[in-house]
Amino acid sequence: MKKLAVAVIFGSRSTEHDVSIITAISSVIKPLELSGRYNVYPVYIDKQGRWFSDPGLASIELYTKGNLEAFLARIKPLQLKMNGSFELVWPGLRPKNVKIDVAFPATHGTHGEDGELMGLLEMANVAYVGCDMPSSAIAMDKALCKSVVLSEGILTPKYVWFYSRDFSRDNNAVLSKLSELKYPLFVKPVHLGSSIAIARVGNPKELINAIEVAAHYDDKVLVEEAVNNLIEVTVPIIGNDKLRPAFVEQPLLKSQDFFDFDSKYLHGGKKTGSGKNGSQGYSKLPADLPPKLYKEAEATALAVYKAIGCSGIARVDLLIDGKTKKVYFNEVNPLPGSLYAHNWRAKGLSNVKLVDELIDLALERNISEGKLATGFKSSYLKQY
Amino acid sequence: MNVIVDNLDIHYELKGRGRLLMLLHGWGDDYHTYAGLMSELEHSYQLLALDLPGFGGSEPPKQSWNLDNYAELTAHFMAKLGLDPIYAIIGHSNGGALAIRALATGVLKANKLVLLASAGVRNSQPAKRLATKSVAKVGKATTFWLPEARRQQLREKLYGSVGSDMLAVPALEETFKLTVKQDVQADAAQLKLATLIINANHDPAIPLKDGERFHELIKNSRLEVLPSSSHFIHQTKAKEVVSLIEDFLS
Repeated sequence: MKKLAVAVIFGSRSTEHDVSIITAISSVIKPLELSGRYNVYPVYIDKQGRWFSDPGLASIELYTKGNLEAFLARIKPLQLKMNGSFELVWPGLRPKNVKIDVAFPATHGTHGEDGELMGLLEMANVAYVGCDMPSSAIAMDKALCKSVVLSEGILTPKYVWFYSRDFSRDNNAVLSKLSELKYPLFVKPVHLGSSIAIARVGNPKELINAIEVAAHYDDKVLVEEAVNNLIEVTVPIIGNDKLRPAFVEQPLLKSQDFFDFDSKYLHGGKKTGSGKNGSQGYSKLPADLPPKLYKEAEATALAVYKAIGCSGIARVDLLIDGKTKKVYFNEVNPLPGSLYAHNWRAKGLSNVKLVDELIDLALERNISEGKLATGFKSSYLKQY
Repeated sequence: MNVIVDNLDIHYELKGRGRLLMLLHGWGDDYHTYAGLMSELEHSYQLLALDLPGFGGSEPPKQSWNLDNYAELTAHFMAKLGLDPIYAIIGHSNGGALAIRALATGVLKANKLVLLASAGVRNSQPAKRLATKSVAKVGKATTFWLPEARRQQLREKLYGSVGSDMLAVPALEETFKLTVKQDVQADAAQLKLATLIINANHDPAIPLKDGERFHELIKNSRLEVLPSSSHFIHQTKAKEVVSLIEDFLS
């Protein structure tokens, strides 16, 4: 059987550049290689936005030992050809071309996970893994995402969003808008993931400092009320039409804490200590919730996935008030870090099976999109 | 926690209760270097530790900086947080040089100073510096034909082999050059505040004679020498260092 050519695209101009490298190498490239069904092409986008492809880019040591720049200096930037298909072109006296059957975006944050890359792949008419362009763009705008979810009758904590420039211009006007919210509050840059520049604040002084930090990274800032008696859960989901949730997972944190960048990626999922299990090493799987609440969390996550229009894979984060048992939507991650492979494994889906399923879902969506009519007979041009 | 100071995102930690201590880390390091020290001192003091721009979780400066730029940043950082006046500054290695410069120029004010293996005596190993410079110059002239990446590798090897921090943070190479140009002996001579100087007797990065020199220059100082061959005495001799600091600050 002919092997499918799969381009795993990672890195890019994003504050989550480094997280993307881990996702791509550990959770995508290795399992794809182990599957034996694919010819895998690692496609690395550096922090300047240059594209490269070389088998050596699939080695984690290249990034951890500081040899990356020297390596990139030795290979030529990649060229892309889009002529009714998606081709990687290695330039040179005798350029080499490879037609890609499936693209596997493994980028996090801006210029990738936010729908930009999906738009490019959409235009190239190539099958690709994960959420499409519109759902990625909605998911990566926390304010827009909340308004979509609210319109579907799903609860979310009370929030206010504003443009960073409005805060610089007239912070009093913004602060007066925020005065309707009750402390403690969370301040978040609207488009960034991996908890970058997110802060929990307890008073106006902390609020201003946290807004300045969020506004330093993003043109939109969201401030929302914290949920009391917090139980934070997250639900990875795969599927296009037929959705399949993994376990409802519960990060184990104290009520005053939250998963910031350090605890997610640097401290093995713990607020303190040096866990070695990676980003999800400190979770309860499945979440310790009463059966009814567990079901409700799962149903809310599925409703969110559908409302946003996700496909392929996404992870829905929820906040539960342990006393009132109310389930609130927090945010959607259209490309979960490391695919949340540990959760799928616990659910009986190995890393290899997971990437196989994601490739199948990408092909399925591409075929179904191909069936949509793109032509419409009109006499419009004849009028001229 | 993070805060924007002079348009840079600065990562810091503020913990504990009591009189305020500011902790300044060395080159290529970050405030986590003080984790052990902080867990001991937080019971009696409020501790403010920041990652200096370009290190740890703080954004790098947009231009090349010298010690004065770093000193100004720490002062603006203090003003932004609006905390009580600093009771004491603890500075390790280049953080010590920064503390000396900031206090001597009046950019920062404190009642006491603790210098841990402090840098700032910049001409204490002239022969070593001259030899490194000569090898670097010869290397530069004879390797012009090599690809830039390979030349960079060789430079890293050379500076690493002589224990230089110049390429520890490649993006801050120019800042490093500006910083190590600044000798703070004249600044140290101006200090009147009570100062505790702690050095290791076999520190490979900062010779003991640098600590002795600061002791000579700072009139109101006390020198403690610990038997160690580590530059990071606050980690390798944590118990002794904590005890000396607690005694000095009380």
